[in-house]
Amino acid sequence: MTEAVKNLLFEDCRKSCTQKQNFFDLKDRVILMTGGTGFMGKWVAEIINYLNKSESFSTKLYLLGRNISKFKEEVPHLADQNFIVLIEQDIRNVHDLPADVNYIIHAAGSPDNRDHVSQPLRTLETFYKGTQAILDAASRLSQLHRIIHISSHQVYGKNEEESVIQERFLGKVELGSVNNVYAESKRAAEMLCLIYRNQFKLPILTVRPFSFIGPYHDLEKPWAINNFIRDGLLGGPIRILGNGSTIRTYLYGSDVASWILQMLTCGQNGETYNLGSSNAISLDELAQKIRYSINPGIEIISKSSRENYTSFSKLIPDVTKITNALNTEEIYTLDEAINRTIVWNQLIRN
Amino acid sequence: MIRQILISDPTLRDGSHAVAHQLSASQIALYAAAADKAGIPIVEVGHGNGLGASSMQVGLSLEDDVTMLETARKHLTKSKLGIHVIPGFATIKRDLIRALDIGVDVVRVASHCTEADITQRHLGFVRERGKEAYGVLMMSHMASAQTLLEEAQKMELYGAEGIIIMDSAGAYLPADVEEKISTLVYGLKVPVGFHAHNNLGMAIANSITALQAGAKILDGTARGFGAGAGNAQLEVLVAVLERMGYVTGIDFYKMLDASDLAEKEIMPSIPVIKSESIVSGLAGVFSGFAKHVARISKEYQVDQRDVYRELGKRKVVGGQEDIIIEVVMDLVRNRK
Repeated sequence: MTEAVKNLLFEDCRKSCTQKQNFFDLKDRVILMTGGTGFMGKWVAEIINYLNKSESFSTKLYLLGRNISKFKEEVPHLADQNFIVLIEQDIRNVHDLPADVNYIIHAAGSPDNRDHVSQPLRTLETFYKGTQAILDAASRLSQLHRIIHISSHQVYGKNEEESVIQERFLGKVELGSVNNVYAESKRAAEMLCLIYRNQFKLPILTVRPFSFIGPYHDLEKPWAINNFIRDGLLGGPIRILGNGSTIRTYLYGSDVASWILQMLTCGQNGETYNLGSSNAISLDELAQKIRYSINPGIEIISKSSRENYTSFSKLIPDVTKITNALNTEEIYTLDEAINRTIVWNQLIRN
Repeated sequence: MIRQILISDPTLRDGSHAVAHQLSASQIALYAAAADKAGIPIVEVGHGNGLGASSMQVGLSLEDDVTMLETARKHLTKSKLGIHVIPGFATIKRDLIRALDIGVDVVRVASHCTEADITQRHLGFVRERGKEAYGVLMMSHMASAQTLLEEAQKMELYGAEGIIIMDSAGAYLPADVEEKISTLVYGLKVPVGFHAHNNLGMAIANSITALQAGAKILDGTARGFGAGAGNAQLEVLVAVLERMGYVTGIDFYKMLDASDLAEKEIMPSIPVIKSESIVSGLAGVFSGFAKHVARISKEYQVDQRDVYRELGKRKVVGGQEDIIIEVVMDLVRNRK
């Protein structure tokens, strides 16, 4: 990884950590993150790296994941840090966690829906058995302050009425479709957390992420923004598949990790918080933005199963609760997020 | 309302089945040039079972993949060069990279209708390379509409920009097509397509039914040149589409010229619905088996119709050509 890439990431972390007082309780503490080698884990490691280097935090970070060698290959500048301890383990088999852990971020399990449709049973097992394994192990930790359970916006199901989704929204998850295994698994995992908080008094809060973008987001993942950027970087055409009126929001990677870490100290146990951006954009508009960021001459084509849609999918989180809890707001605008993601991908491809 | 229909022409791929994969480079050159002149949007080229499939098991090609694709590439300027890829026959490293380097524009990654999982890496790779990727569900009569939708949704997630269901056995009636295509159209984000076979004489009717149910992609071949009883006859299909007010972008007269040329230069005989093809369609057997069934049945003097009936009972699929001999031997034993 070049210095230019590392500098870009470091600068992102600096900007996203403006509310320094929210991080102070993490000084000299120990955090364990499951799913620690993915997008979110890498960004959490970047922020801790920044805090340790710039603010002398001395925070220790355990990253638990299934493919540590890949992590070492992709981010050697993080893997080589003394404050990071890498643990290779399938979340379903976790029994004991390091005794010095103060905080747990439980983010294990792929959000990639290709994995969910290909391996629905493993998806269910990972979220159900994996979450139970972590909670059992956490209940034996004597110095534990808090667990954040990273759930998903998919627990809300279909949103055909509300323009903005609040945490109390009751969505419908269609019964009888194996494709909803991710949503159902996340619901089951949330229920496990509720039970362990109620029955074993574990200090747990839940965060429901929406859509993200930024460095470390694999452009091959099956999400519109990733594929638009990938298509654009290949010279086009940018392909909009399905309904271009679909509405999404995107929070930048360093903001995502910064907010999660702040929630370790500023959130309330038993509460649920949306995590995402409130700036909505249609896929048609998004494709245009990406085109202009890369090359205005790139062609955009639309392919859909139908000509006229009577409704369209909207996923816009109400983030009032989390921004109030943290007394913060998203740092990176969508334009900045797109531009920095493009620059990062261009840098690592060169 | 004017609707654009994307036509894909597998004369030089599905037609390969009809000549035991013995299409020559000069035949490919001739038809590719004529199809290009006619403005046929996608011209599919290769072994009948797709890239990397030439083998003793399913039949050896006269020409290798590189020769076929390079020849076609030279003669296609407006039309896109397409290939049919069944993971297992074609690997990414050995076959797909080379094909894309030759200049293939469109890759249709196919699996048996219940096995879409095997297409993930191939579809993903094609999209990573910036090429057009479609998912194809073969022998689709063997799965319910709901199962087809679930498998198609996988392909959509893997990166397919459209899903084509194949009536590989020519077993569908229009009501079947209507049910399956409309289920896919309402359950998928990406366009849906249909590839017909003519065992029951329904290829054109089924293609039009697919269109009316919401399909946007149709396959058709010159004179219906394809496996078994052949495919939807492209000349007829385009004529009917024009009559119905659909737009294909194809120059009709030049396409008729291309079909005349194909009949003269590449077809030993024009596909007709033979008696055994009807039985094959009723039994739901892969049309690509026709040559093998005819050859082995003749050798052991068994009735092809009995072979098709038994293959249908065993729910044999493409790639299981070796079971034909097993079935024939059983029939021989029972005869004694």
